[in-house]
Amino acid sequence: MKVLVPVKRVIDYNVKVRVKADGSGVDLANVKMSMNPFDEIAVEEAIRLKEKGVATEVVVVSIGVKQSQETLRTALAMGADRAILIEATDSVQTDIEPLAVAKLLAAVVKEEAPGLVLCGKQAIDNDMNATGQMLSALLGWSQATFASELVIDGDTAKVTREVDGGLQTISVKMPTIVTVDLRLNEPRYASLPNIMKAKAKPLAAKTPADYGVDVAPRLSVLKTVEPAGRKAGIKVGSVDELIAKLKDEAGVI
Amino acid sequence: MAHDGQTQPTSPLLADLLDLTARALPEVEAIFAQGRENLRERVTVAGKVSAPAMEEHQYAAHALSWLATYTEALRQMQAWALRLQDGGQFGQMEALILQIAFGEYLHQIQGGIPMSQGEIARLQDLGLEVTPLGVAAQTLMTQGNTSAARAALVALMRDSRANATFGATGLEDELEMIRDQFRRFAAEQVTPFAHEWHLKDALIPMSVIDQLAEMGVFGLTIPEEFGGFGLSKASMVVVSEELSRGYIGVGSLGTRSEIAAELILCGGTPEQKAQWLPKLASGEILPTAVFTEPNTGSDLGALRTRARRDGEDWTITGNKTWITHAARTHVMTVLARSVDATTDYRGLSMFLAEKTPGTDEAPFVDPGLSGGEIEVLGYRGMKEYTVNFDDFRVKGANLLGGVEGQGFKQLMQTFESARIQTAARAIGVAQNALDVGMGYAEDRKQFGKALIEFPRVAGKLAMMAVEIMVARQLTYFSAWQKDHDKRCDLEAGMAKLLGARVAWAAADNALQIHGGNGFALEYQISRILCDARILNIFEGAAEIQAQVIARRLLD
Repeated sequence: MKVLVPVKRVIDYNVKVRVKADGSGVDLANVKMSMNPFDEIAVEEAIRLKEKGVATEVVVVSIGVKQSQETLRTALAMGADRAILIEATDSVQTDIEPLAVAKLLAAVVKEEAPGLVLCGKQAIDNDMNATGQMLSALLGWSQATFASELVIDGDTAKVTREVDGGLQTISVKMPTIVTVDLRLNEPRYASLPNIMKAKAKPLAAKTPADYGVDVAPRLSVLKTVEPAGRKAGIKVGSVDELIAKLKDEAGVI
Repeated sequence: MAHDGQTQPTSPLLADLLDLTARALPEVEAIFAQGRENLRERVTVAGKVSAPAMEEHQYAAHALSWLATYTEALRQMQAWALRLQDGGQFGQMEALILQIAFGEYLHQIQGGIPMSQGEIARLQDLGLEVTPLGVAAQTLMTQGNTSAARAALVALMRDSRANATFGATGLEDELEMIRDQFRRFAAEQVTPFAHEWHLKDALIPMSVIDQLAEMGVFGLTIPEEFGGFGLSKASMVVVSEELSRGYIGVGSLGTRSEIAAELILCGGTPEQKAQWLPKLASGEILPTAVFTEPNTGSDLGALRTRARRDGEDWTITGNKTWITHAARTHVMTVLARSVDATTDYRGLSMFLAEKTPGTDEAPFVDPGLSGGEIEVLGYRGMKEYTVNFDDFRVKGANLLGGVEGQGFKQLMQTFESARIQTAARAIGVAQNALDVGMGYAEDRKQFGKALIEFPRVAGKLAMMAVEIMVARQLTYFSAWQKDHDKRCDLEAGMAKLLGARVAWAAADNALQIHGGNGFALEYQISRILCDARILNIFEGAAEIQAQVIARRLLD
């Protein structure tokens, strides 16, 4: 079984995010970019499936700027077999929307015919949480989202999902789309020999036109603002004063 | 808004920086060349460099080594800047680092280079007069390392704390990918535990060593035909840097394998290579270096441990000290005197002495082998031992290279790699100090604002970032030379010499930023200070390093 893993190049989670002066978005110039952490978990899971003999090949695909190939190389260094880069924009500021990504992925799925698509549940930059679900709809495949455990058994996948207040276990028919959550696994560190090997692994360069998909944005961002700063606290003189303030001002008791 | 006739508020960045630095460099090279000629005159007797004269003029000779180190450092900074510019990576931060480095080092070259806190190398020591430099150098000196430049640099540093390095390193993408992986490993598996290992004076857990082996650390530069990965010295530098940034002990685990592998690669027989290298590469065996004796440190040629033939085998008798990680080791590379009636380096041979790995509680279990732990200030994690040999048996086949009297020469061949690796460890420790010092300066508030807002605090951090980049470029250059089969003992020595000073300064200044808290054992910076101190001592003390550099400069 072939496993397809889409990976996105996003702003590194350690970066202190800054909004651009004109409010049009987050400033991404000269900012450290990394693989979306949820996608890293998806890559790890795919490699583990291969190591267990469940998967035979792990193909990673990234859609975005040319530099996304660094992200793909990281996935190859972790252990993926080959990569597809779909260069859909030349500006790091342009985010390809989930529907366009899902359409491109659907086209890749048709070409590659994987038995499983493992994606991160969402990208940490725009938090859309939509691509996997849209891909499922476009392909007419089953979907299992927010996976914290995945067991493939013949033509079904048993997926434990993290839902509000607990865990839910479902069984879905293969081929399927699984979006992964934080606790599924802990991604490995790429070893030195694997980093060296990654250089020689195939990386195919494509464009949206190759798949006949229009990636022009359908959404427009009206405004981006930084979260409001925390207001300074005050010192209260007595317990009575505290209770009064909690009652009257905060309205919590 | 500026009005007519008023000067615009200017950036602290000099407009024609790369032109200025390019013009200043030949002047520095000329000063160095004149200094070298002056020294050569003083120490040459009957057409040859005289040892007694070198000793008489030792201060001047070492001053020349430092001047040469600064000259090479500035040359490499310029080369780095031009490479970045070609690749479109020479941004504001890189420009500020270059500018401050030139401004500061030009001043120090003219006014005095600190060889240690109390010993300043001045041009007059080399019989040179302090004459005004040209316009370009003057501009860099007056406008290079300004308070405004340091403040601008720190502002950029605060914005880019997620980046692995302050300023692009100029290394290729693959090396930066290696950095990313090892940085993450260190941040997750090393940094959170290092301080506890240090405080408890514990050995680094075997689980960490196993993980490093899995990641390929021990076979890094060993050729693929011997089970290694055949990677460059440059990649070894990056790995050592990032692991030492987590903890010097972890960054130093690979050093022993590196030295042992180099010894065997350069001096071993084909059988010895086939037997030892694959196991060193996989981390299955951990080696240690057994050279120093209680009365023989830097003057290694005079060592007295004896190796005697006993049938096919050898027996070794003598006392060794400063043996790192001796408890767990599987093989000791022992330097001992095997040739009778010799007193210098020519009688020394290198042995691959097998040892049963012991534990913290029982480090030495083989007959003829005993020893004890040396308690140390820092650089813990592997522990230091004295090791006593009393008719300790070594197989006849384990004489390195199968020929006697080659030990010292074989060891010398490893010095380039060992020094490059040590320079990288120094950079890692310095970077750790900068990380920790900067974190504290951001978090700690006094007089209503974060410490980093105060120029004296920010200035310290700026200088750390600048000097770390200088030491980096000198180290990367040495590694590049080594990777291209060029002799680099001189550059490697300079990188180690400067790196050690930079690490100590960074640790000391980062501790100063912590104030009283830095003096508390509870704070990491107290450990980093202790760890940084070793860098100026091991793998060639600063004075020995300067001596070796001076000798080479006069060759």
